[in-house]
Amino acid sequence: MSAQLPANLSVETVREISDARDEPEWLLEARLEALEALDELELPDVIQTPGRRWTNLEALDFESLVDPLNQSDETSREAPEDAVVLSFTEALDEYGDLIEEHFGSVVDLETNYLTALSAALFTTGTFVYVPESVDAEDVKIRAEMNSRSLFSHTLVVTEKSSSVTILEAIESGNDIDDARYFSNLVEVVAGENSYVQYGSLQNLDEETYTYSLKRGDTDTYSTINWIEGNLGSKLTRSDVETELNGEASETKIVGAFFGHDDQHLDVNARVWHNAENTTADLVTRGVLDDEARSVYEGVQDVGRDAWSTNSYQRENTLMLSDESEADASPKLIINNHDTEASHAATVGQVDKEDLFYMVSRSVPEQQARNMLVEGFFVPVLEEIEVDEFRDDLEELIAARLH
Amino acid sequence: MATLEIKNLHARVAEDDGEQILRGVDLEVKSGEIHALMGPNGSGKSTTSKIIAGHPAYEVTEGEILLHLEDDDFGDLDIPDDVRTWNLLELEPNERAALGIFLGFQYPAEIEGVTMTNFLRTALNAKIDEREELLFGEDEEAEEEEAGYDTSPMEGNVDDGEVGVAEFQKLLKEKMELLDMDEKFMQRYLNAGFSGGEKKQNEVLQAAILEPSIAVLDEIDSGLDIDRLQDVSKGINALRDEQGTGILQITHYQRILEYVEPDHVHIMLDGKVVKSGDASLASDLEDKGYDWVREEVYEAA
Repeated sequence: MSAQLPANLSVETVREISDARDEPEWLLEARLEALEALDELELPDVIQTPGRRWTNLEALDFESLVDPLNQSDETSREAPEDAVVLSFTEALDEYGDLIEEHFGSVVDLETNYLTALSAALFTTGTFVYVPESVDAEDVKIRAEMNSRSLFSHTLVVTEKSSSVTILEAIESGNDIDDARYFSNLVEVVAGENSYVQYGSLQNLDEETYTYSLKRGDTDTYSTINWIEGNLGSKLTRSDVETELNGEASETKIVGAFFGHDDQHLDVNARVWHNAENTTADLVTRGVLDDEARSVYEGVQDVGRDAWSTNSYQRENTLMLSDESEADASPKLIINNHDTEASHAATVGQVDKEDLFYMVSRSVPEQQARNMLVEGFFVPVLEEIEVDEFRDDLEELIAARLH
Repeated sequence: MATLEIKNLHARVAEDDGEQILRGVDLEVKSGEIHALMGPNGSGKSTTSKIIAGHPAYEVTEGEILLHLEDDDFGDLDIPDDVRTWNLLELEPNERAALGIFLGFQYPAEIEGVTMTNFLRTALNAKIDEREELLFGEDEEAEEEEAGYDTSPMEGNVDDGEVGVAEFQKLLKEKMELLDMDEKFMQRYLNAGFSGGEKKQNEVLQAAILEPSIAVLDEIDSGLDIDRLQDVSKGINALRDEQGTGILQITHYQRILEYVEPDHVHIMLDGKVVKSGDASLASDLEDKGYDWVREEVYEAA
């Protein structure tokens, strides 16, 4: 089902956004094409179980959520030497050709209604460019959303034999009554034999609806590792995807979420093995408290020519209250017999025997439960290479525990 | 010299129409003593141990479990006269542990993501806090502590509590040396990926750290090869000899009793302690099985 085009979205609106940033013609055209496509595009697919459609994106009222000309953010960017880390708009001056080459090359801007909306309206975002053989450690991008709606587009390009670790964090700044909408598209173009770890931490206030699509494309021998942390937002729809297009390339998609109150999390991890000797590892750990709900879909798609593939997927959800709900759908699509693959998902509560074991050693029950929950996230925490990101995530998890 | 006194204990599985398992257990264990509790499968040994520790799966229908404390039980602490006897059934499991009860599990839980060091230091500090609160009604920083530690689950609490990180590391090293345990265990996750023998050794290590007055060890000898059995036995003897811990050793077999010599042996049948004696009773069981005890009990009845 497609959403109706809100009255406040028009060619003039898009032109005004583009003019204000003095953008090149090609980018304006891309925005206008995305805008035009909105009429035809559908909202993203959501998981359905008998009698139930888990995430109700149709209920989003874009008319009131989206205020395209009043977008405001405060974003700080920390760049290591030798790497280029600029706001998307600033980067257009100096790296316009490179951006033109890759913009929309990894994420099809017309994937769905929400991606097109984002492409048409984005005003913020970051361009990260790591030249050949440069090791860029700890790029830090911290953004604060200060308006009713905010659209962001980030492009990461790594050249041959380079590497980069990135922390991107988003939180709410100014208080605004009523609902808000944040949209984030991230494209990673990993050059031959390069390495990217892209860590993302979403901690928006719980009046905010969030959509993000992060997608990477690997070249030969390259690696893209995603760490996706979701704690904030009223409704989170998060898609993290890698296309393993280069021979012997690898990806990890590591996710952590912790929902409470009536938060809703719809998280998805997908990987396509399109080349030989590719490896993927999908690990997601989620905790739900109160009346929070989660739905997870993981897809490992092994192509016909992807000989000698290794592909693994695990998703575990821990529920702390009887009122919380979770559904998980791990999927394995194999078109090639030379594949080693596994997938599993579990939904459960804190193990009573584990709890009793700890309590019988003097640890009070609540503290023992908290230790178990924090320990549950450790496999995710261990993957994080940017220390500051790991500390932030740990703190947010600890703060959420009673 | 603490005394654990179990009087006429009746218990059943805590669910609707739960099976009655204990039918009048009487037992007394003093610190510094070693007791062996033997009996066939299903006689109620493990249930007894879990009920002492406060496992929620069981409901006590009759009887008492008392813990009597004496002056020298908590080192320098002066235990007030009016709080020397505790009815354990009125206490939470962590409170029982704080007063000196330790349960060594037959199948210890494997806890991913929580390191041994972090867990044991948290437990030790929680024990010290809880004990003072129970004995003296002090509740210093308790609310803050209950909120959980606020730093890395991998590294542990920055808030030092009573026993700081450095001091604890030293203590842990000493105890591990004593038990011939490899230091690599310190940073491993609690029991995760441990072999059966390593888990049992770890149970003894935890008792060595927490210094209980009474340790109930549930079939700690099961599944151990001879070398590991000797290591674990050495640890148990050290608990008694160096810390004065009273041991209630639950076992099927006499094998461990060759290394951990009991002062008293008790035989459980059908939810009751039916016969008690000295170490020779265990040898009799080894030779003759349980049938002769059963016959003796029925004849007497």
